[in-house]
Amino acid sequence: MFLLRRRRALPSAPMPWRRRAGSDGTAPRWDVLVIGGGHAGTEAAAAAARSGVRTLLVTHKADTIGQMSCNPSFGGIGKGHLMREVDALDGLCARICDQSGVHYKVLNRRKGPAVWGLRAQIDRKLYKENMQKEILNTPLLTVHEASVEDLLLMEPEPDRPGKCQVSGVILGDGSRVHAGSVILTTGTFLRGMVFIGLKMHPAGRLGDQPSIGLAQTLEKLGFAVGRLKTGTPPRLAKDSIDFSVLQRHTADNPPVPFSFLSEAVWIKPEDQLSCYQTLTNAKVEQIIHDNLHLNNHVRETTRGPRYCPSLESKVLRFPNRIHQLWLEPEGLDSNIIYPQGMSMTLPPELQEQVIACIPGLEKAKMVQPGYGVQYDFLDPRQLSASLESRLVQRLFFAGQINGTTGYEEAAAQGVIAGINAGLRVSGKPPFIISRTEGYIGVLIDDLTTLGTNEPYRMFTSRVEFRMSLRPDNADSRLTLRGFEEAGCVSQQRYAQTSQMKVTLEEAIAVLKSLQFAATKWARLIPEASISTSRSSLASALDILQYPEVTMEHLARAIPEPLRKFAEWRELAERLKIEAVYEWHVASQQQEIEEVRRDEALQLPEDLDYFAIDASLSQEVREKLDSNRPQTIGAVSRIPGITPAAIVNLLTFVKTNQQRTEHIKHSRTGRSLPEGNRFGKSTFQNSSLSCTS
Amino acid sequence: MWPGTWRKVLAGLSPVSGAAGRVVKRLYCPAGKRDTIFALSSGHGKCGVAVIRTSGPASGAALRSLTGQQELPRPRAVALRRIHDPGSAETLDRGLVIWFPGPHSFTGEDCAELHVHGGLAVVSGVLQALGHLPGLRPADPGEFTKRAFQNGKLGLTEVEGLGDLIHAETEAQRRQALRQMEGELGQLYQRWSEELTKALAHVEAFIDFSEDDNLEEGVLARVDVAVQALEEEVRGHLQDGRRGERLRGGVHVVIAGPTNAGKSSLLNLLCQRPAAIVSPIAGTTRDVVESALNIGGYPVVLSDTAGLRETQDAIEREGVSRARERLQRADVVLAVLAAVDDCSGAWVPCRRLASCPAPRSPGPTGTLHPGPEQGRPAGGGARGALLGACGEGALPPTCLLSCKTGEGVASLLSLLGTQLEQLCGDPLAGSPSLTQARHRLHLTSCLGSLGRYHGYKSLDLVLAAEELRLARRHLGKITGRVSAEEILDIVFRDFCVGK
Repeated sequence: MFLLRRRRALPSAPMPWRRRAGSDGTAPRWDVLVIGGGHAGTEAAAAAARSGVRTLLVTHKADTIGQMSCNPSFGGIGKGHLMREVDALDGLCARICDQSGVHYKVLNRRKGPAVWGLRAQIDRKLYKENMQKEILNTPLLTVHEASVEDLLLMEPEPDRPGKCQVSGVILGDGSRVHAGSVILTTGTFLRGMVFIGLKMHPAGRLGDQPSIGLAQTLEKLGFAVGRLKTGTPPRLAKDSIDFSVLQRHTADNPPVPFSFLSEAVWIKPEDQLSCYQTLTNAKVEQIIHDNLHLNNHVRETTRGPRYCPSLESKVLRFPNRIHQLWLEPEGLDSNIIYPQGMSMTLPPELQEQVIACIPGLEKAKMVQPGYGVQYDFLDPRQLSASLESRLVQRLFFAGQINGTTGYEEAAAQGVIAGINAGLRVSGKPPFIISRTEGYIGVLIDDLTTLGTNEPYRMFTSRVEFRMSLRPDNADSRLTLRGFEEAGCVSQQRYAQTSQMKVTLEEAIAVLKSLQFAATKWARLIPEASISTSRSSLASALDILQYPEVTMEHLARAIPEPLRKFAEWRELAERLKIEAVYEWHVASQQQEIEEVRRDEALQLPEDLDYFAIDASLSQEVREKLDSNRPQTIGAVSRIPGITPAAIVNLLTFVKTNQQRTEHIKHSRTGRSLPEGNRFGKSTFQNSSLSCTS
Repeated sequence: MWPGTWRKVLAGLSPVSGAAGRVVKRLYCPAGKRDTIFALSSGHGKCGVAVIRTSGPASGAALRSLTGQQELPRPRAVALRRIHDPGSAETLDRGLVIWFPGPHSFTGEDCAELHVHGGLAVVSGVLQALGHLPGLRPADPGEFTKRAFQNGKLGLTEVEGLGDLIHAETEAQRRQALRQMEGELGQLYQRWSEELTKALAHVEAFIDFSEDDNLEEGVLARVDVAVQALEEEVRGHLQDGRRGERLRGGVHVVIAGPTNAGKSSLLNLLCQRPAAIVSPIAGTTRDVVESALNIGGYPVVLSDTAGLRETQDAIEREGVSRARERLQRADVVLAVLAAVDDCSGAWVPCRRLASCPAPRSPGPTGTLHPGPEQGRPAGGGARGALLGACGEGALPPTCLLSCKTGEGVASLLSLLGTQLEQLCGDPLAGSPSLTQARHRLHLTSCLGSLGRYHGYKSLDLVLAAEELRLARRHLGKITGRVSAEEILDIVFRDFCVGK
């Protein structure tokens, strides 16, 4: 396999695939081709390559691979959860952040470990360098610098939904590249328009051309697109800011790494940079109000989110208030400060006026103005849960193009699209994460079932099973599956996770088995205020739920057999968390089982909801047709679908399936294998396949 | 009201064949993992004996604690037992109990049946007692059938009608709930629901945003106050609950039709007293006139409504809008049309009534009714044409009648009787006091969760929020559920968050 070093990947270099004839003898053939080198694209390409297929990443500028085009931070509440899950599938961003951060902080420390939010300020330059190093050193992954103008299409596979299938792309120079699957991760580049004041010009990102050709192709193919807007704040020169008057926020010591594989982060705790907080005031509000007529982005009708992404929206929707602004470093040796919360689209000179009103920023120099971007996104309800489009077979979409916002949301989709694009080529069943298994599952299920009309952002409140889907246990939820079903996890990580899982289970069993009267526990651990009123026996796991009790206390009280568990620091911390949620997680398990049962009941992708002979109202048919739920679990989450409609739908599908099987049976004289999970034979020929 | 409900059905629909069914059963029904459900499974109205059923792993324990005996009766044999409330030790009734250990039971799970006297006090007493036992909860519509299907006790053909059954049951509950919700009680529950949703949204906002965005000071403190106030109100309401609004029990039959068709005359005729003012002036009846009576042994609440027409009169317009509201909540619509007019024209409103959304099961009874001023039914030719027209167009059951002569009243009563029999055979269409009993159980669970919120708050905010989510879900069984998006709507409305 070719491993292109970045310098040689420039267009002047001989194109790698020319050296090997492809299947049609003229052009080479890749297994997976990824368009875009942002957070979704890099994760997708790396995931596909990890799972063992030959992958090509095409980007219009190889130097922008791994670029953090907006805020210089990763993670947060909900987003940190996504990163842990990406990492559990051996994805890149968590590990790269552990090598590139300059300020690590765990948010929500006092609110319970289920919602701890790992976050870090990242050195942009380091992140990009480390990401590019990682991408260029990934076996089976090749990078090529070119623009993509069009898709190569051919007749669809007959027994699947879709009007055609993608077989490759046409590059800017007219050359063709063939691939088994194609992943589109073009972010805001589809008909991107940048807005500053009254000026607007086509661009995906300041200084980068938008993709027009691809947008037209998608439109011609009949993809439904919507329009969204987003924005970024002005950048300030660090040496022109007076930090002495501002509130300083220091990083955690010791810093907590993102990745399950990292023992520690790269930076020394004391070398970490600080963030600073400043506040808006009435003068800022006045300038924004007085100049609304000069602000096209804000006045435009393109739908913005319900939350307040820009300073303008904050001021307009919550007037007469003081709003927080965070001054975040962009890197160790960078002179740029990113003012989080100050995203605006006023003309540059007015942005300078706003900045000058703010404490600490009176003399601040604006290095680059803030600007707004409006862009096309694809209605994600046209995708299946594997992120493959239903309209064009083997074409996958991931990232901001699906209507999300945020690096972490993009990365999460990238991993799933990459894995599935690879599995599709190898003819294996898709790798789907359920809502009951991870935040990634919630994200993709929300998008593909309900769609979105604002940039979709992850919040923990969207997650039904928040107590079970925690940052600490992402590995036991996903790593083993990733290894066994997707092959995207390294042997080393698999071994590490398996060992942790086995030990955790063993330790929990031991803790449960150690049962004493409360009075004895109170004697054993005098530091804890153990209630002695209860008459029944309490297990060590029960005692570990007390906020002041740790594994150390327990090991001191009962050294044998607990000492060995307490000595393994990470294990001891995880045991403590398990103990806190044990009871609730167990009582939620039944509900989780119910959801899984529903999700195991799959609906055929090509069902014509208007034609089927089932007792369904027109309204229900329309909803089913536009949302195209893949499983009965997804049907249940579409607002306005009644239980009766679901039963009627299932009865129809079920009866139909039996009929089909009956015909098959009489034709072939043998019955179908039962319970073929996602098995192609049942999936294609029957209307409903189910897991048993 | 439904999320958990149909999931179980659907899961039940998965077995492809007998063998697969066994696999499903083994995998999906781990003992002790399911709730135990209970419900009144006999109809209400004229029944001397009421049957209450439970299904699920806690059935045996429930039977033991209600009968106060350590021993369960011999399986599938009838035993006479004193039944009492384990909470208060008060004797509720002496009745027959039967114990059906799984898998040889209707649902395939452990089941118990209690045959008690049919009085409302006894029935709601037993249901209350069951609701307070650990692991027991009221069954969702169709849930017994669904469990039976899941456990391979019913075939696919038997389950074909399940969708309709669930539809009917949920419709009946919806109508019952609508009737409950219109009064002060409904407004109260609605307000609680809004307050609880807001409290939950604010806790969620605190979890998701407080570290990054400036939520104002004291968000959580305000939530605590709100939750505490709600707790006190719910507790007070439950202690005081027996004095709650009196609701008329019975099947709600609504008389409707154009003005001056003889609706009030029909009401008076059926009540055998002049309950409503009758005059030849169109638009005499303006408010809803209600009368409770007994038809064929079934309790009926009969309402006469203002004639449906466009009007300039403000009072009459209000009357018409009340009539329409009443139609939405009707179990049976009695459409009255005058036979005097050109009957082809009269079919239009009649068809409109027939397509009225509420009373889908069973359909409304249309009554063709010569105006009282005519004094006698239409003559032979016209009568034939009318009845012929009734036969066409799939109209609901129809009969001719005269309020003056009383001709046709018997056939109307027999038509109504058939409809009532169908309706009352359905235990979930239930009486208001049973609905209230169900509400009490959900409110009690809601209150329990609110109490635990305070306990968990200092320990772990996620656990505290979970209790609010649970409390919201219990209340949602009364007022309707709230989605994650609606929570986010409140978050973004009340706080300036986001970047």
